[in-house]
Amino acid sequence: MPSTGSPLSVQKMAGYGVAAVAAVLVLYPVFYLLQAALDVGDPQVRPPTEYGLDNFSGILQYPQILLNTLTVSVAATVMALVFGFVMAWILARTNVPGRKIFEQLMAVPYYLTPLLGALAWSLLGSPESGFINQVWRAIGGSGAIIDVNTPYGIAWVMALFEGSVAFVMIAAVMKSMDPSLEEASQVMGASRLRTMLRVTLPLVTPGILGAAIFVFAEMLGSFAVALVLGTPNRFYVITTAIYQLTQQYPPKIQTAAAMGVSLFAVMFVMLFLYRRVVKAGSYVTITGKAFRPRVADVGALRYFLLGICVLYLLAAVALPILTLLFASFQKIAVAFPTADNFTLNNFRMAMSMNAARSALGNSLLLGFGTATVGIVLMGLLAWLIYRSRLPGAGAIEYVVMFPQAVPRLVFAFGMMWAWVVFPIPIYGTLWLLLIAYVTVFLPLGVRTIASVMMQIDKSLEECAQMCGASWTFRTRTVTVPLLIPGLVAAWLLLFIASVRELGASILLMGPHSKVITPAIVESWFGTSSELTATLALVQTLVVAAAMVVLVAVTRRIGAQPGD
Amino acid sequence: MTGFDKNSLTRRTLLKAGSALAVATPLIGFAAPAVLAQGQTKSPTKVLDFMTNADVAKAEQEGQLVFYCHENEAGTAGIMQGFSKDFPKIKTSYVRAQTGALYNKILSERSAGRFDVDVIQLSDLAPAVDFQKKGGYEHYVSPESHAYKPDNLSTPVGSFFWTGVDPAGIAYNTDKVSSADAPKTWHDILNPKFKGHISAKISASGLQFVQWYCLREMYGDKFWKEFAKQNAHAFDSRVQLFDRLAKGDDMITSIGEYPAYILFKSKGAKVEFVAPPDGLVATPLIVGAVSKAPHPEASKLFVDWAMSKRGQAWYQTNPNLYYGSVRTDAPPMPTGVKLSDFKLIYPKDWDEYAKTRDVFSKEWNSMIGL
Repeated sequence: MPSTGSPLSVQKMAGYGVAAVAAVLVLYPVFYLLQAALDVGDPQVRPPTEYGLDNFSGILQYPQILLNTLTVSVAATVMALVFGFVMAWILARTNVPGRKIFEQLMAVPYYLTPLLGALAWSLLGSPESGFINQVWRAIGGSGAIIDVNTPYGIAWVMALFEGSVAFVMIAAVMKSMDPSLEEASQVMGASRLRTMLRVTLPLVTPGILGAAIFVFAEMLGSFAVALVLGTPNRFYVITTAIYQLTQQYPPKIQTAAAMGVSLFAVMFVMLFLYRRVVKAGSYVTITGKAFRPRVADVGALRYFLLGICVLYLLAAVALPILTLLFASFQKIAVAFPTADNFTLNNFRMAMSMNAARSALGNSLLLGFGTATVGIVLMGLLAWLIYRSRLPGAGAIEYVVMFPQAVPRLVFAFGMMWAWVVFPIPIYGTLWLLLIAYVTVFLPLGVRTIASVMMQIDKSLEECAQMCGASWTFRTRTVTVPLLIPGLVAAWLLLFIASVRELGASILLMGPHSKVITPAIVESWFGTSSELTATLALVQTLVVAAAMVVLVAVTRRIGAQPGD
Repeated sequence: MTGFDKNSLTRRTLLKAGSALAVATPLIGFAAPAVLAQGQTKSPTKVLDFMTNADVAKAEQEGQLVFYCHENEAGTAGIMQGFSKDFPKIKTSYVRAQTGALYNKILSERSAGRFDVDVIQLSDLAPAVDFQKKGGYEHYVSPESHAYKPDNLSTPVGSFFWTGVDPAGIAYNTDKVSSADAPKTWHDILNPKFKGHISAKISASGLQFVQWYCLREMYGDKFWKEFAKQNAHAFDSRVQLFDRLAKGDDMITSIGEYPAYILFKSKGAKVEFVAPPDGLVATPLIVGAVSKAPHPEASKLFVDWAMSKRGQAWYQTNPNLYYGSVRTDAPPMPTGVKLSDFKLIYPKDWDEYAKTRDVFSKEWNSMIGL
């Protein structure tokens, strides 16, 4: 029975309530960030004593770094989107053998952490000590056949490990697509390739555009890969430059803040363009017409597609993990092991460090908390932005996008200043990290849910409304059930993103609220690549175990609507 | 004459000026250093094999110690492990970051009225003196202070002390560089044959700042201008430098820290250490209890432990630390060498040194490609 009441007031209350929460989460630290970007007084005195624009003009002193950042980010985004689209199409729309297993494996590069990927590829592809190059020289070659310290080497590793989110976002859209559209194309005589390019691709355009903006922003903010692979080649991007500027004494946080705020301007333009493109066309693929998700039979081509899947996962999963495993049993990692170089000490040390115990537990707890709190908030935000007709809903999207536009390393300063003066003492606790994670992952969650939401025909909700269903009733019985697969994907994505988070955590974690990824970075800075490899493996194993449990649970939830 | 002797007067002048300023210009949110009456009047008691003014029972009742430290994760954990082993009832926790970031963090917290930390360790004298000026340190004179030269204590005594010294020379990979071709003096790091295969540290490093300052003093501006042509790669920590050196990614490092050399040599790495005849550049590692500490007795106990022969032995022999002790009765380091066996180079004038920080950061960042 439909509930009664005043739908408009409930909608308004929910809409403005959630907008207010998002505004506080984002704008409160943004205020402090802008304040720092405009602060031209003594960097160690807060609040600022002088304001000006000098910090922005100071950015122009780093033209090479801006160019480096653009080169790597564009190259990595293009690579990630190509990988993401091809893999999503293969696994969501074709009958490639073992696609269910591959689909699960596709999430692995994302939670392996970019640091693990960078470290592994550094061991594999450094020009001098890289295992591949050592083997190459041992068989008579000279020089290096692979060099991951170049800009395109860095982009390759970033695309493999930071870009797998593109697959998740595009696959979520493809799964929600009515296959009859593709079938109709083929019935009309179009080839598989033509169907993919002329039907599938246009239909997933919002998903791809959303993923492109998201991935590009992710690449702009990427830190670990550029740090591990770029620094040895004197190749700095904006995040590694910001890191250096904020670490030195006295720290140049104002310049770093100005760099972060400038990035927002770039993202603002991209978001504006995205909205224009999305508004210009109709991308509704889930309608009132019933359909059963089906995959296309691609015949013998499926074995070729299987080869692509295997190669991708070899580069992004198997090879990195095996490399780190190999390194973790050595005192000094080399391609050709010797008995006196063998050690178990790295595992002993990893298990005795805080990082392998409390930090890992905290990370899992925060991942669960962020995903659960985030899914509710971000689902409501996605509805507010893309579905409600409430005034000012469009402006909320720009607010929500801000954390993605600014490198988390910089945004964390805004959060630190904001929450350290907050009357409720959450600074230095896990609560602060929870708030920070929910804030910085707003764009990820909202974008993921929105991509699916935009494909649901409004007529379904309108039909329910015409039948007298209140807003709460039709949300509960129509919108949410249709969104369930997208929500499940978003929950898992948020969980993984939280567990591997680095930029914000490295600054905001307190003595009693340590988390795992910064601990691994610290290990890379200060212990050895072998111990770091071991820590990363321990993290991977524990997170993998957690993921197995969570995927099993979420599958059951996701399966309910079809039951 | 050692570096210690050369520099004492000017450094003291700086520290005295600093302590005077501390009274005149306290920063908002900072407590003026409170003299612990109990600490100064009560007779020290013996705990284990060292003397302390702390009330050990109260410290154990406080039950916690929060430590901020510049040292790497393993080193910071190692320091806490040493203290916890002796005082298992006091639970330790820590935050580690590079000195610049750590100092900025504690300043931000204190200006917001948050006092969560008990003891801080920094790798650069300049921020330590600045912190002292701002009243950031608790004034506590440890009964173990007698074993330290005045140069290795704050002026006035009671704000901080040198918990160790990190000396650096040159190091090279023996597979990549023969002993005949190996650098022998500081000028040899300018040899073009090492171009593109030489490493250094980033500008956040206190030791790198000391090296830049001292070699510039000794050899003039031209020295670093020549070094800029070497296209050095810069890294965060000593371990990264030696990790690359051990794997042959670099031929030499222009700032080979002795503690890292000991660590990697023990792993069987093919690296060698060179002590240039003009001396090893060295930076002090500064420890002090902070004002308004949430666990004041535990913080005093830690300072006494760290200053004691027992604590210094721990700092000096832990593989992730290997600090050289400046205690007058310090035993040799694990290699059998005493810190005093080395000729150490410090800035002649710590005040001038502190003033050149911005010049250094700008010049060094540009030199390493930033």
